[in-house]
Amino acid sequence: MFYRVSGQFKTSYESDMALFPVKQDAILLAFILALFYVAFPMMASEFTYKALLVPVLIYALAAMGLNILTGYAGQLSLGTAGFMGVGAYACYKITSIFPEVNIVVALLLSGCFSAAVGVAFGLPSLRIKGFYLAIATLAAQFFLVWLFEKWAWLYNFNASGAIEVKGHEFFGLVITGPNAAPITQYYFVLVCVTVVSFAMINITRGRFGRVWKAVRDMDIAAELVGINLMRAKLSAFAVSSYVVGIAGALLVFFWKGAAEPNLFDIPLSFKVLFIAIIGGLGSIIGNFLGALLIVALPVLLNLLPGVLGLEINSATLEHINVMIVGALIVFFLIVEPHGLARLWALIREKLIIWPFPH
Amino acid sequence: MSVIEKAADITASSIGLQKAEERETLLDLANVSLSFGGVKAINNISFDIKRGEVRAIIGPNGAGKTSMLNVINGFYQPQEGVITFRGSQRRSMKPHLAVSHGIARTFQNVALFKGMSTLDNIMAGRTTRMKRNMFWQILYYGPAQREEIAHRRKVEEIIDFLEIAHIRSTPVGKLPYGLQKRVELARALAMEPDLLLLDEPMAGMNLEEKEDMSRFIIDVNEQLGTTIALIEHDIGVVMDLSDRVVVLDYGRKIADGSPEEVQKNQDVIDAYLGVSH
Amino acid sequence: METLYQIFADPFVQIVSAPDFFLQVLWEGLVSGVLYALIALGFVLIFKSSRIFNFAQGIMVVFAALTLVGLHENGVPAWLAVPLTLGVMYLLALSVERVVLRPLVGQPDIILFMASIGVTMFLIGFGEFVFGGENKAMITAELGIPTGSIEFFPFGGFVLIEQKDLTAVIMAVLLVLCLLLFLNKTAMGRAIRALGDDHQAALSVGISLSKIWVLVWFIAGVIALATGIVWGARAGVSFALEVIAYKALPVLMLGGLESVSGAIIGGIAIGLLEKIFEIYWGQPLFGGNTETWFAFILALIVLLFRPQGLFGERIIERV
Ligand SMILES: Nc1ncnc2c1ncn2[C@@H]1O[C@H](COP(=O)(O)OP(=O)(O)OP(=O)(O)O)[C@@H](O)[C@H]1O
Ligand SMILES: [Mg+2]
Repeated sequence: MFYRVSGQFKTSYESDMALFPVKQDAILLAFILALFYVAFPMMASEFTYKALLVPVLIYALAAMGLNILTGYAGQLSLGTAGFMGVGAYACYKITSIFPEVNIVVALLLSGCFSAAVGVAFGLPSLRIKGFYLAIATLAAQFFLVWLFEKWAWLYNFNASGAIEVKGHEFFGLVITGPNAAPITQYYFVLVCVTVVSFAMINITRGRFGRVWKAVRDMDIAAELVGINLMRAKLSAFAVSSYVVGIAGALLVFFWKGAAEPNLFDIPLSFKVLFIAIIGGLGSIIGNFLGALLIVALPVLLNLLPGVLGLEINSATLEHINVMIVGALIVFFLIVEPHGLARLWALIREKLIIWPFPH
Repeated sequence: MSVIEKAADITASSIGLQKAEERETLLDLANVSLSFGGVKAINNISFDIKRGEVRAIIGPNGAGKTSMLNVINGFYQPQEGVITFRGSQRRSMKPHLAVSHGIARTFQNVALFKGMSTLDNIMAGRTTRMKRNMFWQILYYGPAQREEIAHRRKVEEIIDFLEIAHIRSTPVGKLPYGLQKRVELARALAMEPDLLLLDEPMAGMNLEEKEDMSRFIIDVNEQLGTTIALIEHDIGVVMDLSDRVVVLDYGRKIADGSPEEVQKNQDVIDAYLGVSH
Repeated sequence: METLYQIFADPFVQIVSAPDFFLQVLWEGLVSGVLYALIALGFVLIFKSSRIFNFAQGIMVVFAALTLVGLHENGVPAWLAVPLTLGVMYLLALSVERVVLRPLVGQPDIILFMASIGVTMFLIGFGEFVFGGENKAMITAELGIPTGSIEFFPFGGFVLIEQKDLTAVIMAVLLVLCLLLFLNKTAMGRAIRALGDDHQAALSVGISLSKIWVLVWFIAGVIALATGIVWGARAGVSFALEVIAYKALPVLMLGGLESVSGAIIGGIAIGLLEKIFEIYWGQPLFGGNTETWFAFILALIVLLFRPQGLFGERIIERV
């Protein structure tokens, strides 16, 4: 009933190509934005920001970056965390070498570094395909984490080997470090993620999106319709690692506050990959759904013993969490390879024709 | 066939031939050879394609027809020989450059982008003509959108021309085979080629679909003036559509001429009947 | 100048001046190489028969070892724990076939690959849930694996060989021989190879796909258990071993996904090279721990020049 498309006629290509050809989609987006910008902050406690809202946004952003590479361009990467690390360390170095630089500028620049590293490790994709490439991305993963550990200059020769974020101000407002209010940090991350999301939606619905999908679906044919495979793949690596790098910088600066090299180890790569798979490969909005699921699951599991009145220690809960995530991956790949995003699309389709199913 | 009809037929075809000879040469292959390990897929073949004609390439399975097209658009690099296209010579070429040189093709086994809609598949054919960079693409509104709309207009013309408007937004993986072949033709036309290479465009089609496809090919040739190289097993179709025919067998050229000449050629008859070499 | 000397001359000077130490390094490298090769072998078998790049193979090693130790911890004697663990591995093969392979048959490779990553996660969570996440000692003595060491005195120097490492190598060799016998001499083995060569043909001869899959996954499970025992004897048993198990991946890239001999040669080569690099270049020049990435970077570089791997055949793509 809510999803009536009758009466909405397309009179021009502009309106047909609009972001939301169906008006209700725009309303849905407005609703989601209202939730994040207005409703959640009204309800959230400090704990909710730190344990739920901020992580969801940051993981969603990282998964979005990976989705560009894997979901759109079809190049599977197992090295996401390494590129997140590049972003984080770059941002750390930039802010410690040039303390006066605006944090937004530092973020934008650190993305450039991870993009450059991404392109370097993406070069083999011109010759190596499929899971061979996936394994090659592990080379980036292991090498980069090793580098974060051994290259003391990266962490300013701190004895701890970790990077620690100092307080940065943004137009007089403290937004990082221990003195920053969670709500300020939340809004800052939210605005960043919103902006990048729109950029990614735009880029994927135009020429670049088509080129990447063509490479994903059939690279030989893509080449023979005039697509330069090298440029297509490297641009996917660049855009993807840029976004992933910014996510990494946000992760350290606006959530964890400090990071050791092993934060960027392979489990993080898998976590981001799982969010992208569960959310839906080849979708932008899906990443948020996937991140919500993956972040909320352990939080909910931790509530479980209290509800059931059972004694379960937190390590066991973590193991159960890992188990469920693994099962969910297989489940989604079998039942709905396009993830939650596709599930939502199906529901939408049903709603559009409801109540006349034919 | 009555005598008069036959006579008319012969004059018509010789007029066709004459026409072809007067035309300028669009593509010329000289002594091209290509081998895979021990297999000689193409053995010292020379032939040309004139601007505006429909040139058929026929031959038994494994004769080297598809390899021939692959050499023409740069997907395979021949070990020997020279290719002259629109007056410039080359031995090898990066395959993705074929389109900007004006060569487009369809494939023997449909090679569409399965996860994309019909519209997106055809739009992909416009890629080389779209120029707006990453910055504008990210902004989307403004120049990038205007460019997108301009190309969309062209694509819609092709969609109307090939009568596939009803499947515009269907993912091509879900389309029946016949329609997929048509979408592939649409994608090739979107590249606005000078030379269109069609690799068995009617394979696996029923009679009605074949007639439709023949009509489209004729229209493309006559209305758009596109030169066509056509591989086809259905001899009837070849006779109807083509101006000149080249026949391959085991990588060698065994005949070249008007459809009627070729049909009478003893080597060709032997090759098709499987007379041993 | 100093660095150049350290990179290009010093390591070789050291090798020549202390050949006994070099032998020791080679032996250590060989032992890890053999274990990498074993894990890679499990991959190859599964890939040949079901076209799945089974990311879970490394985890199956840990899972099998953990089950064995866990059973023993709960009072099951060693001689019984081994067959029971094999039973568990069989159940695992059976459930993977039912729950994962069958529903996903015919899906693109990448989907299957990701599914195997899901299986990996599940096994980690399940294993830790049942047996706990802490590091455990392998029940080496109970299984009758000798723990002493043998000493040699070549070149007037001294090389020490641990008996459990020697056991590992001998066991690996025996396992590979059995496997080759099985693949070449038995009807079932030939069926598996037929499947690898041509799916359609194998089906038309009337081989039941699901039976073969269960069998192959079970064999991979057996290999995993054997690897787990000898590896656990060296390093203890916990999911931290997972990182070492990833090493089998570059081995596969080098050896090719379908070649049994490629897996063996690739495994040993990587084991040797990474050890040599670590000792003579990694530690003096880069602060050590280069074993985490050396194999991957090496494989990457080789693949750049030979995308089909060292032993694969070059394929010209068709349209
Ligand atoms: N990429 C390749 N690698 C190895 N051999 C090839 C390759 N491409 C073609 N060939 C061989 O070259 C020969 C010619 O093949 P081609 O595909 O050109 O034949 P065709 O005339 O198109 O046949 P069909 O009518 O079956 O399509 C065949 O023997 C084929 O096996
Ligand atoms: Mg062919």
